[in-house]
Amino acid sequence: MKPLIEILRGRKIICCVGSGGVGKTTTAAAIALREAMDGKKTLVLTIDPARRLANSLGLRELGNVETRIDPAMFEQAGLTPRGEMWAMMLDLKHTWDELVRRQARTPQQAQAILDNKLYQTLSTAMAGSLEYMAMEKVYEVHSSRRFDVVILDTPPTTNALDFLHAAARILDVLDNNAMKLVLGPMMKAGKFGLKLLAAPSGLVLRTLSRFTGSDFLRDLAGFMMAFEGMYEGFKERATRVKALLTSRDAAFVLVTSASPLTIEEALFFHKALADDGIQTAAVIVNRVQRDPRRHGGPDTLPGLKEALQLAQIKDSGEPPLSERLCQTLTDQATLADLDRREVERLRTTLHGIPSFSVPRLRKDVHDLAGLWQIDGYLGENGGE
Amino acid sequence: MSEPALLNQRLVVVTGKGGTGKSTLSAALALAASRRGKKVLVCEVTARERVADFFGKPPSGTRIRELSPNLYSVHVRPREAMREYALMTIKYETLYKIAFENPAARYFLAAAPSLSEIVMLGKVWWHAARDMERGRPRWDLVVLDAPATGHGLTFLTVPEVFLRLVNEGPLARDMHGMQSLLADPERCSVCVVTLPEEMPANEAIELDSALRQHGFPPGPLFLNAYFASRFTPQELVQVTRGGPMLMAAGEAADNHESRAALSAHYEGVLRNAVQRPILPVPFFFERHFGAQSIDKVARAIESSL
Repeated sequence: MKPLIEILRGRKIICCVGSGGVGKTTTAAAIALREAMDGKKTLVLTIDPARRLANSLGLRELGNVETRIDPAMFEQAGLTPRGEMWAMMLDLKHTWDELVRRQARTPQQAQAILDNKLYQTLSTAMAGSLEYMAMEKVYEVHSSRRFDVVILDTPPTTNALDFLHAAARILDVLDNNAMKLVLGPMMKAGKFGLKLLAAPSGLVLRTLSRFTGSDFLRDLAGFMMAFEGMYEGFKERATRVKALLTSRDAAFVLVTSASPLTIEEALFFHKALADDGIQTAAVIVNRVQRDPRRHGGPDTLPGLKEALQLAQIKDSGEPPLSERLCQTLTDQATLADLDRREVERLRTTLHGIPSFSVPRLRKDVHDLAGLWQIDGYLGENGGE
Repeated sequence: MSEPALLNQRLVVVTGKGGTGKSTLSAALALAASRRGKKVLVCEVTARERVADFFGKPPSGTRIRELSPNLYSVHVRPREAMREYALMTIKYETLYKIAFENPAARYFLAAAPSLSEIVMLGKVWWHAARDMERGRPRWDLVVLDAPATGHGLTFLTVPEVFLRLVNEGPLARDMHGMQSLLADPERCSVCVVTLPEEMPANEAIELDSALRQHGFPPGPLFLNAYFASRFTPQELVQVTRGGPMLMAAGEAADNHESRAALSAHYEGVLRNAVQRPILPVPFFFERHFGAQSIDKVARAIESSL
C-alpha cells in the first residue's frame, strides 16, 4: 500500500471528515506537519481545537488569523521542516460578517444585514452555518494561492449531508421563493414581482402568524429584504466552492475511531460523499487498541502466577496481583478484539480504499513530536 | 443536596459532546427511574433513533412505544412535531392543511430557521408539562436525549432567542411555558455527559458555564467510561520490568493504568472547573452493547441519584 503522503500528492485541499471526538484535529495537524516536513507551505484550518494542541502549536488567537508555527517549536521537537506549517482557527461569526460585507452591493446594505436581529442569531445558530463557513474560508485561502496545501479539519456534524449541502441549505433560506411567496404581502409584494400570488398567500400568512406570531414573520421578511440582490453573488460563490471540492485538487480523508458508532458514521459519510460524486481518498482509524497478547507469554491465571514467581514478584494484594493481571489482559484483549472486528468491517465495506490504523497512544497528543509519532503510522504498512 | 433528587424531576435533559454516551445515559436514567415505579418517556431528537435498539426493540418512530416495563420512547421529528403542534393551536384540520400542507408553506416551514427546533422542543415540553391522563400527568418523568454540545445549547436556548424576537401569539405563549420549565430547578435538571479525555473534558467545562449563564438548573455531570486504577505504582514498575514472560501482562497493566491516570486527571480537572456533582460511570468491558449494558450503567449510578 502507498503511504498516505503519496496518496495525497498533488492535492491542494485536504478535508478531514468524520464525527466529533475521533481525533480529526490531530489527524489534520499531523498531515499538515508531514507536508511541511516535505517542503510544502501548509495551512491547517481548524475549528476550536483542543486547547493544549492549539497552545502547543503557538495558536492563541481566534478570529481568522493565519499563524506560522514557530520554527523554534520544530527545533524543540528535533524536526527540520523543509517547508512551513501555518495554522488558523476559524471564527464563525467573523467569516459570516466578512462574507456579507464582500457580497453586499453597498456598505449600507451590509450594515442593514449585520444589524438585523435575526441575522445576529442566525449567523451563529443557523444549521449548516459552520460547515458552509469552513468551506467558504477554504475557498478564499485556496484562491489567494498563499499556501501549497490547505488541510481542513471539518466541524463535527451529526448529519453528514449538512456538510456538503450546507451552502445550498443556506441559500434556500436567503433566496427561497416559497418563503418570499408566503411572506410576500409583508415584503411589499410588488417589489418582488409576486403581486399575482399575494392574494392566496394572505390566508396562509394569517394562519401561520396565528401560530408563530406576526413579529417573527415580520423579522423574517425584513431579513429577506435586507439580502435582496445578493443572492446571485452568494449562489455563484457557493457553486464555485462546490466545484472546487469535487475537483481533482481536493481530497477527502475519512477519520474515525474504532468504536462501532463512529465506524457506522464513517460509513455513512463515505456514502454521502459518494452520492455527491466524491471519492474517499483514504480512511484513518484512530485510537485502535492493540492486543497485548501479541507479545506472547502466559495469559492464564496459573501461567501468570508462575511468571510472577519466576520474576520474584510478590503475588499479593486484594484481589491478588495475578488475578488482576489476568483480568486486565482479558479486558484489553476484548477491547482489541472488538476494535479489530470493527476495522475489518470498515475495510471490507470500503473495499479498495487505503486505510491506516493509528494505535491508542499512552498520552494525549499535544505537541509536534506527538504529531510526528502519528505520521509514523500513516506509512506503507497501514499502521499494522 | 437541597435540590430535589434527579429522578423526581419532571424533565431531565441529557446533553454533552457527540459520542460521549448521551443516549446510553438517557436510557440508563430512564431505566433507573422506571425501576422506582415511575412511568418514564425518553424523547430522542437527534437524526438517528438509538434507545429502542439498546433494549432490543424495533425503532419507536414518532409513535410512543413501551421498551421495558414503565419505560417508553419516542423519536421526535420536525415534520410530525410541526403537524401535531400546529393542530393543537389551529384546531381545524382543513385550515391546517391549507396553511401548512401547501407546497410553499411546507417549504417555508422547513427553511424558516429555528422553527424545527421550536416545535420539537415544544413537543417535549408538552409531554413533560401538559400531557394529562385521567386528571394527572401521563408521565412521571420525561428524559430528553438532547443534541450534542453546540447544537444542544442552541436547541435549549431556542425559547429564549425566539422570545427576544417575538412576544405575542400562541407560540410565544408556549415558549414562555417552555422557558419557565427549563429554568425551574424544582421541575427540571440539565445533565452533562463527558469522557475522561482532553477535548470532551474541555467542552464539558465550556458547556457547564454556558448552561449556567443561561440559567438551566444544573444536574450532575456524568464522567463516562471511567477507568479505575487496578495496580499500585510499585506493582506496575515490577511487572513492566518483569522480563519477556510478563511482556503482555506488563503492557496490559500499563495501558490500563495510563487510562486510569487520564480518568483521575480529568476527574480532578472537572471537579475544579465545574460546579455540579460529578458522577464517574465505570467503563464496562463488553462484547455486545445492549439491554444488559444499560442495566449495568443504571445500577452503577442508581445509588447516587
